Amino acid sequence: MRPAPSSSFPSTLVEALDRLPTGEARGFRFVGTDRQERYFPYEAMRTEAYHRAAFLSSVGLSKGDCVALVIPENHEFVLSFLGASVGGFVPVPIFPRASFKGVDTYVDTLEHIVKAARAKVVVCMQQNRDIVAQLQGRPGLEALVVLDVETGFLGQAPPFSPPRITPRDLCFLQFTSGSTSRPKGVMVRHDNLVANTTAFLGPSGLARTPDDIGVSWLPLFHDMGLIGFVLGTLIVDLPVVLMPTPTFARTPRMWLELITKHRGTITYAPNFAYQLVTKRVTEKDLGTLDLSSLRVAGCGAEPIRARTLLDFADKFRPAGFRSTALLPSYGMAESCLAITFHSLGQDMVVERVDPAAMRTGHAVPSTASDALEIVSCGVPFPGHELAVVDEHGTNVPERVVGQVLSRGPSVTDGYYENDEASAESFKDGWLHSGDLGYVADGALFVCGRVKDLIILNGANHYPQDIEWAVGELDGVRRGNVVAFSVMKDGVEQLVVAAEGHSADASRLRTAIAEAVQSAFGLTPSHVAVCGVGALPKTSSGKAQRRKTRLMWESGELEEHRMSDEPLA
Amino acid sequence: MTRPELFQTFQRMASEIAEKDFASVQEDAKIAQLGLDSLNLLELVGQMERELGVQIPDEQLVGIQTVRQLLDLVERRLQK
Repeated sequence: MRPAPSSSFPSTLVEALDRLPTGEARGFRFVGTDRQERYFPYEAMRTEAYHRAAFLSSVGLSKGDCVALVIPENHEFVLSFLGASVGGFVPVPIFPRASFKGVDTYVDTLEHIVKAARAKVVVCMQQNRDIVAQLQGRPGLEALVVLDVETGFLGQAPPFSPPRITPRDLCFLQFTSGSTSRPKGVMVRHDNLVANTTAFLGPSGLARTPDDIGVSWLPLFHDMGLIGFVLGTLIVDLPVVLMPTPTFARTPRMWLELITKHRGTITYAPNFAYQLVTKRVTEKDLGTLDLSSLRVAGCGAEPIRARTLLDFADKFRPAGFRSTALLPSYGMAESCLAITFHSLGQDMVVERVDPAAMRTGHAVPSTASDALEIVSCGVPFPGHELAVVDEHGTNVPERVVGQVLSRGPSVTDGYYENDEASAESFKDGWLHSGDLGYVADGALFVCGRVKDLIILNGANHYPQDIEWAVGELDGVRRGNVVAFSVMKDGVEQLVVAAEGHSADASRLRTAIAEAVQSAFGLTPSHVAVCGVGALPKTSSGKAQRRKTRLMWESGELEEHRMSDEPLA
Repeated sequence: MTRPELFQTFQRMASEIAEKDFASVQEDAKIAQLGLDSLNLLELVGQMERELGVQIPDEQLVGIQTVRQLLDLVERRLQK
């Protein structure tokens, strides 16, 4: 017999799943890539999870073994993830699509993650089985078991007794950080997950009620979609409607149509998505939308621009949207998901600060027309601490910019089998975020990055990956390439600068753009081909990213003129 | 729909989405050269689906790297 539902929170994801109410009334609704809706009451999800766990066990997985999930359909992904969880295995979500990318580079990425996780089994679907199965041709992965959901979980489940799962057990690995060649898997334990989700969905966070409905198109291989709208919502019993990310990309307004149709109360997205729908939704569409049910429209995962959210609020006010629903947030996978949240139901707090003072790390309020707008991401959750420190690790006063640190039960133990990387980011329980920010009146304002990370459309990219790919090209000297991002109209954009000969400049510019597109699906906003020796280097001959960016921004970076361009 | 018509449709939609002129783009252009990001590209595919009444599954977009390959795919799906 299942334990009776109690008012206290469960201690593991598996306990949460076991406790969810029976019956048809509550569950998850999945919109497929075929646009069909599939409704799974919790009971059906639970039954299918135990069914899949038995099959996973029968192909040779034991408690604590990693199983990679490369599954394009959300319902199949969630059921397989939960199957791995109740079986005591460790799911490793991996992004399942490679549209407009070269197949080989995609398989390379899969290979690096599968090897870093030492996964013995990969679960995919028939539609991507051919690509995933290419892994078995890679050295060291000959014995990898590839299971597709259509045939792998068919028929009577083999006998299986699920192991006992404790709060200290590993729940899953989150591979969102690290470079492509050295991916880092954040080790999320059940207790971390429960601590974080009960914080951000509990009374000090979004204050979940029994009437809430979450609506999301966020990818499930990433913490905001996976924890925010699948694992966290299961732990607190919050029904959700999920649509596939590519469906959102193809038809952005469907996100808002789904909120309208299902009376969604909570949604989340990175800044770019709010900008996109504000631009794309027509006056005619507006008349068919009703966003009055929405009490939380959260924003996170990339730098938040006040103007974008205010424009969104203005545009959708006629459709019943309330600007108090806007909820800027800050977090990272190394702390499960959430670190700080703006207060529920309150207008956003936007500071205007002096740009000259900011360059020296001081947030001085300004009313001048050139003032920088920075959005408050709110305060940490109970039981969690926030600190801002200088380069020596010393706490700085309010309004001084430093690295953002976080400590508490949500902070994970680090990266899977990677002590070196873990030691760099996790010190004495403090997570070193790599983000720059300051605190004012107790609230966090994020304003930059310590690391040279590039964030485009909510996805993290490491400059060294891009530089490496470009350095492989004919006519480019390895080590003489710099990739960095710049802010243009409040949106982060990629710039690649490489040294090359002037006669070769046009060809190189095209080849570099193609290489970046093929390997990463990214289009640089500019490719600068510069003379040999034009990029700033360290004394050891390493190209300097930050200095190159400053030169580019001030117009000091000297580029070859392209033959197809008129003289300026 | 003839191939030149399909190509013109592509140029028009790409211009609408990226707010740039695609009149000088040729069919053999690499998609990487167009200045469209992965989000723009999927939006373009969605637009084609709606306007041409065709379905282009995500998994068929893997490995598509030129405008010609993309239009070949759309044409194949139109014939279905």
